[in-house]
Amino acid sequence: MDGESNRWAVAGRKAAAVGRIAFRHQLAYKTDFAMRGFFLLFILFVFIQLWSAAYEGDFSKSISGFTLKQIVWYLVFTEALTLAAPPLCSRIEEEVKNGDVAIRLIRPQSYAGYHFSVFASEALTRFIVHLAIGSAIAWPFVGPPAFGYGWLGLLALSAGALTVTFLLLMLVGLCAFWVEETSGLYFVLQKLQFTIGGMLLPIDLMPEWLQRVCAWLPFQAALYFPARMGVHFDAALLAKQLAIQIGWIVLLALAVSRMYRRGVSKLHVNGG
Amino acid sequence: MLALQTRGLGKTFRVKRKEAGLSGSFRSLWKPNWETKEAVRGIDLTVREGETVAFLGPNGAGKSTTIKMLTGILHPSFGEAEVLGLTPWKERERLAYRIGAVFGQKSQLWYHLPPIDTFELISRIYELQRDEYVRRKDELIERFELGPYLHTPVRKLSLGERMRCEIAASFLHGPRLLFMDEPTIGLDAVVKQRIRELIRERNRVEGTTVFLTSHDAGDVETLCSRAVVIHHGGVLVDEPVERMKREVLSRKIVTLKLTEGADPAALPLIAGTRWETEEEGCRLAVDLKRTTIERVLGELIGRVGFTDVNVEDPPLEEIIKHIYGMKGEAD
Repeated sequence: MDGESNRWAVAGRKAAAVGRIAFRHQLAYKTDFAMRGFFLLFILFVFIQLWSAAYEGDFSKSISGFTLKQIVWYLVFTEALTLAAPPLCSRIEEEVKNGDVAIRLIRPQSYAGYHFSVFASEALTRFIVHLAIGSAIAWPFVGPPAFGYGWLGLLALSAGALTVTFLLLMLVGLCAFWVEETSGLYFVLQKLQFTIGGMLLPIDLMPEWLQRVCAWLPFQAALYFPARMGVHFDAALLAKQLAIQIGWIVLLALAVSRMYRRGVSKLHVNGG
Repeated sequence: MLALQTRGLGKTFRVKRKEAGLSGSFRSLWKPNWETKEAVRGIDLTVREGETVAFLGPNGAGKSTTIKMLTGILHPSFGEAEVLGLTPWKERERLAYRIGAVFGQKSQLWYHLPPIDTFELISRIYELQRDEYVRRKDELIERFELGPYLHTPVRKLSLGERMRCEIAASFLHGPRLLFMDEPTIGLDAVVKQRIRELIRERNRVEGTTVFLTSHDAGDVETLCSRAVVIHHGGVLVDEPVERMKREVLSRKIVTLKLTEGADPAALPLIAGTRWETEEEGCRLAVDLKRTTIERVLGELIGRVGFTDVNVEDPPLEEIIKHIYGMKGEAD
């Protein structure tokens, strides 16, 4: 037992070290940050106009339990989470194509563990920056995000949401060990997140039958759960959604682990 | 003690063959034609600890694939291997603590950060004790003369400076066995020589086993005591570099830069040599079994006007081709 816990402690220390250096490294990409920030401002401005028209500018009106203020802040949260995810699939694909995967595999560290550290470090930084940028546009249009313990719910579910996103991206990225070209799969995953993940509109606004389908898929745990909890705090639901997230994380982590073990034995490292 | 041992180690890949043109692309979609390519064909190899081995062969001979199997990056299709007592592809992470690797065309340094940050990360990944890390880091910084650019972002370093950092980083955790895949590729002669000296020093001081692939005869001569030549995925020659030098490296290339107005057609014929005139100067291939460099230069002085002279080894490709010829396997 001691040996096992020591192994996890060592893995944690290594992950923290990779996370720290990844955080410093991403600070070099200032233009990338600025571009994403500008895009977020633009897309939220468009959404605010569209939803204002749908609500006819009426702040007291409610559609499927969401007021205009709640829907706008919901979109700020989903966009902040969506744009927080670094391009993991294309990174793994590039590593396999140019042979840099060799540098990762020569280290005494788990391949998925390394990528999770880099992903977590970058995603958390981006998420905080995007929340600030999103707030800067939502606040003047619909008022402050005063949703009781909503912020607590959002933050509590965001760590799990980003972990689920990481595992989904990792599953697609690892396909590069077989096919070298994952952009098609990534396109499908991204569109599923946009639609049935609840990025563009809350799942509550979807038809009943689609809501039942979404309940059996992991996408809602990556976007809908934290964003909805942010604007509609419910302590009992928070515990249930945390449990669902943990369930998906365990299931997806097992799938990633199995896929990695099979993929690495098939791997063909290119280039010298 | 053995550093590594392989028995019939091999690797095959499935490669999709596609006919040219649009119709070929469509046919390949419906009826893909797969071919099995044998990258490494049953290599038997033994390396003792402390040895410096050159693993040679032309492009596509399977050198890099072999190194990747021995470091646990690739799983072999058949055969066995033991590196420092471990099976690389089954115990990759355990083995990683004991070995190091330098891939000349790939970087382990973080591009936008100074090398010292990667050193720090390596100390954490390899779980080095703090005082041990500081001692090794300071020693390597001094020996590799990294002080002036240790705090400069990697993107601003020259290739030579970066390679010195790459190699120092690979020695940081004190590997017992270092795999080097083309460590001097693209470097100028002075930097190459310095890097060879440093690797040799590590071998001498720490007893690090070196397993190297290179296309540069200088790397083999300066660094290695033993040469293994592979061809078509199998071992063709395995002998001491000294013997190889006597038997195969018995040729030197003398390059002359002629004085202005000198006529290359009027160059004297010297026994044991052959002229190869090139645009930039005249190359004289010297057979050391039949003559000496001293005698050749003696004959040239006074009979030919030249402003510069350079004596060097022939390219490794030429040497290997010569070996294939000797073994009756030349392409």
